[in-house]
Amino acid sequence: MTGPRDLNAQIESLVNRLRRRQVVGSWSVSLETALLLRQVVSVARWNQVNVLINLVKDVGGKLVMAQPRELAVGNIVRRVLRLIRDVYNSEVSNSNTNLTSTSEEVEDDDKDYEDDNVIKSPPQKSKTYDLQSYSGPGSIISSSFFSSSASMINLLGDGSVSGKEASLDYDRKCYNLKPTIISELQELINELENMYVNIADQAMEHIHSNEIIMTVGKSRTVEMFLKTAAKKRKFSIVVAETSPKYLGHEMALSLSQAGIDTTVISDSAIFAVMSRVNKVIMGTHAVLANGGLISVSGTQMVATAAKHHSTPVVVCTGLYKLSPLYPYDEDSFNDLVAPDPVMSFDEGELIDKVTILNPYYDYVSPELVSLFITNTGGHPPSYLYRLINENYDPEDTVI
Amino acid sequence: MPIAAIESLVELIKHSKATTLSEFMESLKDASQKLKSSVRNSISLSAGADLFLRFVTRTSHDVTNFEACKEHLMNSGKVLVEKAVAVRHKIAELGVQFIKDDATILIHSYSRVVMLLLQQAAAHKIRFNVYVTESRPTSLGIKSAKILCKAGIPATIILDTAVGYVIDKVDAVFVGAEGVVENGGLINAIGTYQLAVVAKAANKPFYAVIESYKFVRLFPLNQYDLPTHTSDLLAFPDLESRCYQESQIGENSEQNIKEEDYDVENFVARNPTVDYTPPEYITLLCTDLGVLTPSGVSDELIKLYL
Repeated sequence: MTGPRDLNAQIESLVNRLRRRQVVGSWSVSLETALLLRQVVSVARWNQVNVLINLVKDVGGKLVMAQPRELAVGNIVRRVLRLIRDVYNSEVSNSNTNLTSTSEEVEDDDKDYEDDNVIKSPPQKSKTYDLQSYSGPGSIISSSFFSSSASMINLLGDGSVSGKEASLDYDRKCYNLKPTIISELQELINELENMYVNIADQAMEHIHSNEIIMTVGKSRTVEMFLKTAAKKRKFSIVVAETSPKYLGHEMALSLSQAGIDTTVISDSAIFAVMSRVNKVIMGTHAVLANGGLISVSGTQMVATAAKHHSTPVVVCTGLYKLSPLYPYDEDSFNDLVAPDPVMSFDEGELIDKVTILNPYYDYVSPELVSLFITNTGGHPPSYLYRLINENYDPEDTVI
Repeated sequence: MPIAAIESLVELIKHSKATTLSEFMESLKDASQKLKSSVRNSISLSAGADLFLRFVTRTSHDVTNFEACKEHLMNSGKVLVEKAVAVRHKIAELGVQFIKDDATILIHSYSRVVMLLLQQAAAHKIRFNVYVTESRPTSLGIKSAKILCKAGIPATIILDTAVGYVIDKVDAVFVGAEGVVENGGLINAIGTYQLAVVAKAANKPFYAVIESYKFVRLFPLNQYDLPTHTSDLLAFPDLESRCYQESQIGENSEQNIKEEDYDVENFVARNPTVDYTPPEYITLLCTDLGVLTPSGVSDELIKLYL
């Protein structure tokens, strides 16, 4: 990626690959997006942060348009935008002693902040979003409280940063922010690369000996999660085959090769088997802001059956899949793909007489999910709005 | 109402002759107490007054000069009053996304922000129909229907008792609110709760549309926990003592049942005007702070009052 090639050519290339579905899967898509945006930040010429923000939005917009179903692209673009804003804000608050919120930082000399010091030491606020150094919910509450100051009070105040004023604010000239932003971006990329390990590390807390666990579809996150648990615990897995793509078969094969006791069931047996299952653990394609899932079709059925039997549903997902969008219209996030796997073309005579629909995704409402396991720990669906406030800026929701 | 509360407090600041900060704060607190006790339904009013008082406390910590502080407060009060309209437009803009083309919407009573949202949706060339509940006893639903029809949105008034009848035809329910309480529940014109229960039973999304200055620091556990509830609301008639009288008088007992108990004005006066909708019935809240889940409300309140 870091060759001397023209930036535009790189953007075009990713756009085309997204469009042709040559890069698929939330994880690879978001990694590619993050790498490209790092390139954009480092190659582009800018001396004002709002120029950079517009540039990133512009590139991000192209990528999102290229493949609107891959919500992860938009999520990464928003993360990067938020990161730029945070670096800038902490720079401004460091150099501006008049702001009220900086009262504790002001104790030092002003001059210190003008030096390279700023670049070397990562800005205070960005630590909140550095998910590697997550240190429990307490820290997040206090720092997010500080960073965004109370937003209701913005109604009254002209002192604090509020909606529109903030966007006008980004036009100060900054020459020394680039290295900070790039190092923060690198951390985001590292986070993406370590994603699976971070989630899998929590496996021991959730899987106990002799449990029967059901899963659906094929998810790399869940695969790692289960394999990590299998190193120490003995448990059995029931995999729903997930027709018509039969992703469950691949999943089952991979799990059984790791020495886990695996059973494949047909999708129609999900409800019947559910009464014996202790826990459902599954992956997802995207998580919406209310805690709803966009996930491979068949998930809704598993989740509803689990609800009926009061079986807990645990969803393993990286934070990059968390989208600040709401399910305004459940169908708008869905995809109707080729009907070939449902009924192959050889079936000749019948094929003319019936309409075959093959929706790729299901929308699962948040009431059906018990817990999300992300790389920052376990969260109930009702907590997701806070993760969203921490990771995205409300101004970036529409790219 | 919350805006009016803030306006009157600003007016108080303008005329305040207090010389120390604590005296000043005391007078503000007194005034807001007086405001709250002067009306029967103080919920939205106390939201505004509390918000402003909180802001005063905050500013008094930041600004050292007393006169400058007063000046600052007066300005911000004015800013808020000006912003109130802009805020509603912002909410409408956000909420439009929830209305699909060819949808049927059910709304309750009259709410400025819901009206604006629907008009905005019509301006975005979304075609939809609206059922409006009559919402007795205020019958403000009639006003809503008139406004909507004038804006070119087909609106039909339904009786409050007909909600269950139409709910299957409805795609989404929208309500405004007098106040949003700490757990994300709503306080709104009577009938909202039953609307929410019916919507939940029919699996229809129930959206609340509100300005963030209506967030109140209340945590009602049930209907009777509201500050608007008094013991004479919906009290049962004391038939025992009346029976006693009847037996004394004897045969004339039927005439003795007080006819005035059944006069419309009389029993309406003994009925509640607002009810509380618990958060589990609310799908999403559409506010100027963005779209929130009910649990997000407490976070905003904590940010403010922590």
